[in-house]
Amino acid sequence: MLWVRRFWLKLQGLFRRNRNVNRLDDEIQFHLEQQIAENCAAGMSPHEARYAARRAFGNPTYLKEETRDTWGWVWLEQIVQDLRYGARALSKNPSFTVVAVLAVALGVGVNTGIFSVLNGVALKLLPVPRANQIVSVDQIFHGNFPRIEHGEPEMFSYSEYKNYRANNQVFSGLLAYAPFLGDVPLGAENPKPVMGEETSCNFFEVLGERPALGRTFVEADCRAEGVSPVVVLSDELWRTQFGADPRIVGKSISLNRAKFVVIGVAGQGFRGLDAWPVEFWAPVTMEKALEGEDLLSKDNASWLGLLGRMRPGVSLEEVRADLGVIAGRIDQLYPGRTTTLAIHRATFMGRSEERTVVFGIGAVILAAVGLVLLIACANVANLLLARASARQKEIAIRLSIGGSRWRIVRQLLTESLLIAFLGGALGSLIAFWSVDGIARYLLAHLPHGFPPLLWDVSPDLHVWGYSLALMVLTGIVFGLAPALHATRQDLSTAVKGETAGLPGKARGRRLRSALVAVQVAVCMVLLIAAGLLMRSLYSAQTVDPGFEMKGIIQARYELPGYNVAAGQTFQRELVARAQALPGVDEVEQARVMPLGNQNMHTVMTPQGEKRYKSFEFNIVSPGFFGMLGMPIVRGRTFTQAEVQSDAPVLVITESTARRLWPDQDAIGKSLREVNALSQDLGPRVYQVVGVVKDAQVSHLGQSDGPFFYMPAGPEELAAMQLLVHSKASDVTTINGIREAVRILDAGLVVDVTELSGNLELWRTPSRIVAALSGVLGALALLLASIGVHGVVSYGVSQRTREIGIRMTLGANGGDVMILALRQALRPVVIGASVGIIACAAVSQVLSTVLYGIGSHDPIAFIGVPLFLLGVAFLSSYLPARRASRFDPMVTLRYE
Amino acid sequence: MAKPNDLVQGTFDLLLLKTLSLEPKHGWAIAKRIQQISREVLQVQQGSLYPALHRLEQKALIKAKWKETGRQAKFYSLTAAGRAELEKEAEIGVVCRRRIIWS
Repeated sequence: MLWVRRFWLKLQGLFRRNRNVNRLDDEIQFHLEQQIAENCAAGMSPHEARYAARRAFGNPTYLKEETRDTWGWVWLEQIVQDLRYGARALSKNPSFTVVAVLAVALGVGVNTGIFSVLNGVALKLLPVPRANQIVSVDQIFHGNFPRIEHGEPEMFSYSEYKNYRANNQVFSGLLAYAPFLGDVPLGAENPKPVMGEETSCNFFEVLGERPALGRTFVEADCRAEGVSPVVVLSDELWRTQFGADPRIVGKSISLNRAKFVVIGVAGQGFRGLDAWPVEFWAPVTMEKALEGEDLLSKDNASWLGLLGRMRPGVSLEEVRADLGVIAGRIDQLYPGRTTTLAIHRATFMGRSEERTVVFGIGAVILAAVGLVLLIACANVANLLLARASARQKEIAIRLSIGGSRWRIVRQLLTESLLIAFLGGALGSLIAFWSVDGIARYLLAHLPHGFPPLLWDVSPDLHVWGYSLALMVLTGIVFGLAPALHATRQDLSTAVKGETAGLPGKARGRRLRSALVAVQVAVCMVLLIAAGLLMRSLYSAQTVDPGFEMKGIIQARYELPGYNVAAGQTFQRELVARAQALPGVDEVEQARVMPLGNQNMHTVMTPQGEKRYKSFEFNIVSPGFFGMLGMPIVRGRTFTQAEVQSDAPVLVITESTARRLWPDQDAIGKSLREVNALSQDLGPRVYQVVGVVKDAQVSHLGQSDGPFFYMPAGPEELAAMQLLVHSKASDVTTINGIREAVRILDAGLVVDVTELSGNLELWRTPSRIVAALSGVLGALALLLASIGVHGVVSYGVSQRTREIGIRMTLGANGGDVMILALRQALRPVVIGASVGIIACAAVSQVLSTVLYGIGSHDPIAFIGVPLFLLGVAFLSSYLPARRASRFDPMVTLRYE
Repeated sequence: MAKPNDLVQGTFDLLLLKTLSLEPKHGWAIAKRIQQISREVLQVQQGSLYPALHRLEQKALIKAKWKETGRQAKFYSLTAAGRAELEKEAEIGVVCRRRIIWS
């Protein structure tokens, strides 16, 4: 209770200050009067009595101050005082304040914006109740092992999932889902491609998502394969495709040509767990009906992602330990394989491979914008230094009458923090608005083939915290050095007012020059890095992938529900119709499209050897190479006879030939197939009949991986896709193909686009990076130029007096100018040199990302420093010229 | 005229509390009493009482009241907490004094 009384007293001290001050005066007055009375009674004269009383008492002013300090909370009052003083000082100097605030706004704003984007991508938890309990589980394999990878390699098979679910002690629920099931045809006639997910039947329950209509899955729905063709629709799909029909529950819909019954509609706003909005959910046991191949029974296939909700009180360590035991047990079935598990709190874009990529890129980008912020800080620090030198006299006087240095530094720091908060708040607000706008723009302009993205970049606690921390840090970084510098001084010269003109003693010149050098160096690093990136990306834009794309249209489709014979018939008829379209001169087929983001792998062994080799491959028609302009350098392509008889022949790429049979003729050599699961040699032996030139068909920028082409056997024929070369316009051809497919089967979903679109897709990330680095580089340049200009011209104007003296002593205008220029440009040159050295280091790091540009590209390394030197030169030239033209008498009297 | 430094501060505060233990006094009376008790040995600026008094008041060990005695004066007296503090320290003081006598 005592502390309550004390708190109350302190509060009173804060709010009743005036009254207490007057009372204290009365109290001391009383004391003095009593003492004087006593002295008089002892026989002193009134004058002596008063004098003696005062002496006995001490210094009343000082004592009153001491006493007042015991009231209230001193530190609070001092802070308030500092803030008021700082605000007043800032408002008296509007031009300085505006420039400083803007510089900080730019720096902090860019940082906050980037961080909020990264937060939305990689740090935000799932948008479900109590999301911090949910963890994602991925498996990482080591050693030699066979595995079927349908999705990402770190996913699980159905039997593995059931194993983990039954045997763990740490989860209140473990769900599985197969993400990104795209282009599923909804509807029988003129189907619309929709995105869905196959999930375990406890999916909605574990996530805590309740349906808006009807029900979600129950365990009975997953008891066996294919027994329960039910589906839950997303709110969005229900509204757009079914007109928000209130009686949708119980109705039948057609998905992938199979009948499904709608049992419920998910809550509004629930669009699944990934960045791509999901439109329907089906039980995992319906997988075969939706995808056409049976993955449920494959024990060694990676296709399901796992999420678990931890029991309350369970730690991540316990989860890792518990699941590790289960993983070890499963490993015993596969000798030669060890599995480690990666378990993290589930975030919105959560697959561990994505996470590493995003964190890596994110770190680099944050470093870059951090550098921009550094430049902004250097700018403001310089401004502060310049301004502090104007207040030198005031500070010197305060210090000399005994003011505490710490107090003054604290006050100057408060001003800096005020600028930092104003600028930071302004910058962050602008950042949030513009990031939202930019995200919307980007999403609306994604190239074809990109699925629509869900991207929540709205600021949350992480972002606010980051922004606040940045503001405080920034304020201290640019405020501390000038504050310390301004209060460390040669008092006598400062008080006398000799602030400028004497060589070697110009106030703070060394510090300012150092700041300029830092700015220039950092700006150089950023600009050169940006320049290198942009140049290399430019060359990536113009790189030739090694195959023709002009005038070629690709048609991608699937044939659900077709048996082998029906599939062959369909393909034959489609090819015939396509050939009959106006302008078409060539029609070929391929299983996957070049640069189409679908890759097929298999394992083969060169005949007679022991080693196994992993290959990427494609299944194509004989004329494929000719149509795409990929020259056969040795041998020949497949013959029609070989295609029809399903002969075991191959065409391999040049680098594959070089790799497998160096210095030998690859024609006539053979490769034997290997059974993927059992790792035994298969029966078929394929002979190499031709060697084709390398091309970048699987990854842009990479063309020398092991790759072969094989002809389409009767079973593969049904899965082939179409490539059509036409002299007519692309639009005509596209429409013609669509129509042809529709005539043959109106219930198919077919994706018909230009082949060159694939390349565009690959280039999009590069384009974004190029745009980003361009913007950052421009920002850095702007800030650095402003900084250099400000400091250099200020420096020259400070030395006006010195110039006057020199001119009086006989120097002419030219000499003076050269002197001024040399002094001004020196820090810039030093900064540029440091920057170049730093950049050489940085470009080593970047060289992994650069296409075909040496990491010491001369244009970037020379052009940027020249530009900055030019800016510095201009900034110093004008004031120097002006100073050299002055009448010396005027400059001497200048103060 | 020395100002009591921090080390001595605690003892000085104790002294103030002791002088108030009998009856409420105003600042000047306390100063006079201290002069008496210490037999003029403790040389303290009279004014340095006031920060100490106000500090004690903020700590709620003493309380103050303005009374009319011909003129308005601020009288200080001990609070219950102050009295408790005094007793606690007095005990320790007694122990110390005993030790000193016997050693």
